[in-house]
Amino acid sequence: MFASKRLSKELSKLHDHLPPGIELIQADDFAEWLMDIRVIDSNPLYQDEVYRLKFSFSQSYPIEAPEVVFVKDATHPIPWHPHVYSNGIICLDLLDRQGWSPVHNVESICVSLQSMLTSNTKKERPPGDEQFVKYNTQRPRDINFVFHDNQV
Amino acid sequence: MASPSPIPYDRRSSRASSTAGQPASDLLVVGGPPNSPSPLELFLRASNLPSSKTRISKIPPDLHMLEYVSSCDTNLICLICHSPFDKPVKLACDHYFCRDCLDHAFEVQPDGHKTCPTCRGRVDTDTGVLPVPKILEKMLDELVVKCPNTKSGCTWVDSRVNVNDHVMLYCEYTLVECPSHECRLPIFQKEFHKGCLHYTLSCEHCHTSLMKKDLEVGYITQRHQKTHCSNRFTACPHCDAEVLRLDLKVHVNDSCPKMVIPCPGTILGCHFTAERTEVIKHENACPMATMAPHFRDQQARIERNEARFEPLARKVGILEDGLSNITNMLYPANPNDSSFPVTNPLDPNHSDAFPPAPLIPTPDFRLPPASFPPVPPTNDQSQTPFNNPSQPPFDSQVHHLLTLHDSLRDEVSRIANALTDLEGRTNMMIINENQRVKDEMLHTNAAINSMRMQLHWLMSATLHQRTSNSTGTSTARAGGSTSSNSNGNGRAQGASGASTSLGARAEASGTLHAPMRRLSDSTRQDTKL
Ligand SMILES: [Zn+2]
Ligand SMILES: [Zn+2]
Ligand SMILES: [Zn+2]
Ligand SMILES: [Zn+2]
Ligand SMILES: [Zn+2]
Ligand SMILES: [Zn+2]
Ligand SMILES: [Zn+2]
Repeated sequence: MFASKRLSKELSKLHDHLPPGIELIQADDFAEWLMDIRVIDSNPLYQDEVYRLKFSFSQSYPIEAPEVVFVKDATHPIPWHPHVYSNGIICLDLLDRQGWSPVHNVESICVSLQSMLTSNTKKERPPGDEQFVKYNTQRPRDINFVFHDNQV
Repeated sequence: MASPSPIPYDRRSSRASSTAGQPASDLLVVGGPPNSPSPLELFLRASNLPSSKTRISKIPPDLHMLEYVSSCDTNLICLICHSPFDKPVKLACDHYFCRDCLDHAFEVQPDGHKTCPTCRGRVDTDTGVLPVPKILEKMLDELVVKCPNTKSGCTWVDSRVNVNDHVMLYCEYTLVECPSHECRLPIFQKEFHKGCLHYTLSCEHCHTSLMKKDLEVGYITQRHQKTHCSNRFTACPHCDAEVLRLDLKVHVNDSCPKMVIPCPGTILGCHFTAERTEVIKHENACPMATMAPHFRDQQARIERNEARFEPLARKVGILEDGLSNITNMLYPANPNDSSFPVTNPLDPNHSDAFPPAPLIPTPDFRLPPASFPPVPPTNDQSQTPFNNPSQPPFDSQVHHLLTLHDSLRDEVSRIANALTDLEGRTNMMIINENQRVKDEMLHTNAAINSMRMQLHWLMSATLHQRTSNSTGTSTARAGGSTSSNSNGNGRAQGASGASTSLGARAEASGTLHAPMRRLSDSTRQDTKL
């Protein structure tokens, strides 16, 4: 109940106004939304690419963080970033249990990810990406990331 | 709740929470729409039910779900629930949240490490959660919201502070449990008194089963027949057009092209009657149809005026009645005074409509000969020629009225003069009389005073004599003591006589009775003056 109330408010706001480079693709229910983000400055790493984000909300959103991953399909690649695994899982303190705060919202997450990409210059994956992608069965929110870099 | 900090809840929330805490059997509906049962009735009804069945419970409105009419200042919006604050609290770091939202946020944080959701500053749940400024609560109270039952048909819109009362007490669309024993389905409060409406009926057009309660609510019926009913269209019997059943009557009356109607000029005598399309063509050519609207306007105006005229006529009748009564009262009937019959030429039946009092056989308008002051008969004829029986009657009613008016005015001024005169005389008389009475009063006063003085003298003299007699030799010092005694006696006896000699006598009596004498002397002189 709490989650749907809050999400309906966010949704009506997103329909009203969206920051540049962010687009609402699908929000049919209050469980899973799709958003597209795009880097708006001329970072050559991400030029002309659009990335698709999947938000999964639990019943206790916004008290609990939503699960946010990049999804890959024919037109939407996974962006290169030292905190983004090649399966789309994002290692961002904002989305971690410790780092999350209920004052964040879908829009602010999108903006944070957008700026995370904007400021990046390294075309690389996190260390141990292959291993992680191969063996990880945990859901993103249950992974205890060690935040090795605070400059995101 | 994770943080039972001592925050004073505001009035509204405490009421709401106390209501929520009560057992359901105490929750009676107080108030409601005028056609709903009175609270007493409801109470009786509820108390007749077995206690387990008493369940007219209402849920207080959730402020987070309200629809706000105007957009709300972003500073009044809680960052957790994204709604205007409900029971806001303030953290030491100056960040504001709804009480409930903050509790939810704290729930997932480890004990002893509560942090502000906005700035992650440490929060001591015992002392760090503070009440908000009154002005903030005021601003929140004044936000205009719609009734949470708006979707059901309620049109209430008012300040948020009143929404709880509205929903709990007044809203007709608040859901309560069905009054039937067997049925626990919800029903609108305004239909509570109708008994259980949870049985199905079928729509008369499509035979779809509908809940009775849905048919009761007019707009749902309409919606069904407008948009849902599978049989909602029907063919017009005249033109075969598909129209909504609801609109059929309107269609036939106003727009059906095949309907046979008369020319609008009927009221002016056009006898043309045909299908609507034909009539429309005919209308352009028919002068009577062109005139019809104007005539209808005129007709309406005439009717309006007639309607207005009728009460006026009645009023005039009443006024005439009153006037004749007044006239009769002013100039009581003089049986001999039938020499000046002035009939009302405008209304010959007037006297029939208002039959005169038995003593007044004459018509209403008569001159008042009896009331004219005594004037010499010669003057009378010259001044008031109409008084002369030989004179012809007045040329017109107006003239008569004017003369009547003049004579009345003269009379009034005469009466006024007489009154002034009388008043002056009365005043003089009263003043004179007063003067006389005053004088008499003075005389009497003087007499009384002199009598009192004499009495005084007598008394003191007697007293003195007694004392001097009893003390005998001790008081008498000089040889003149006896003489003075006799002197005093003599004086006492003579007191009632000539008062003028008293001064001299007092002088002569010397210093022996100084105090007494001086006293009486002075008094005496006062009264003499
Ligand atoms: Zn809130
Ligand atoms: Zn704070
Ligand atoms: Zn209402
Ligand atoms: Zn029922
Ligand atoms: Zn139907
Ligand atoms: Zn028709
Ligand atoms: Zn005609």
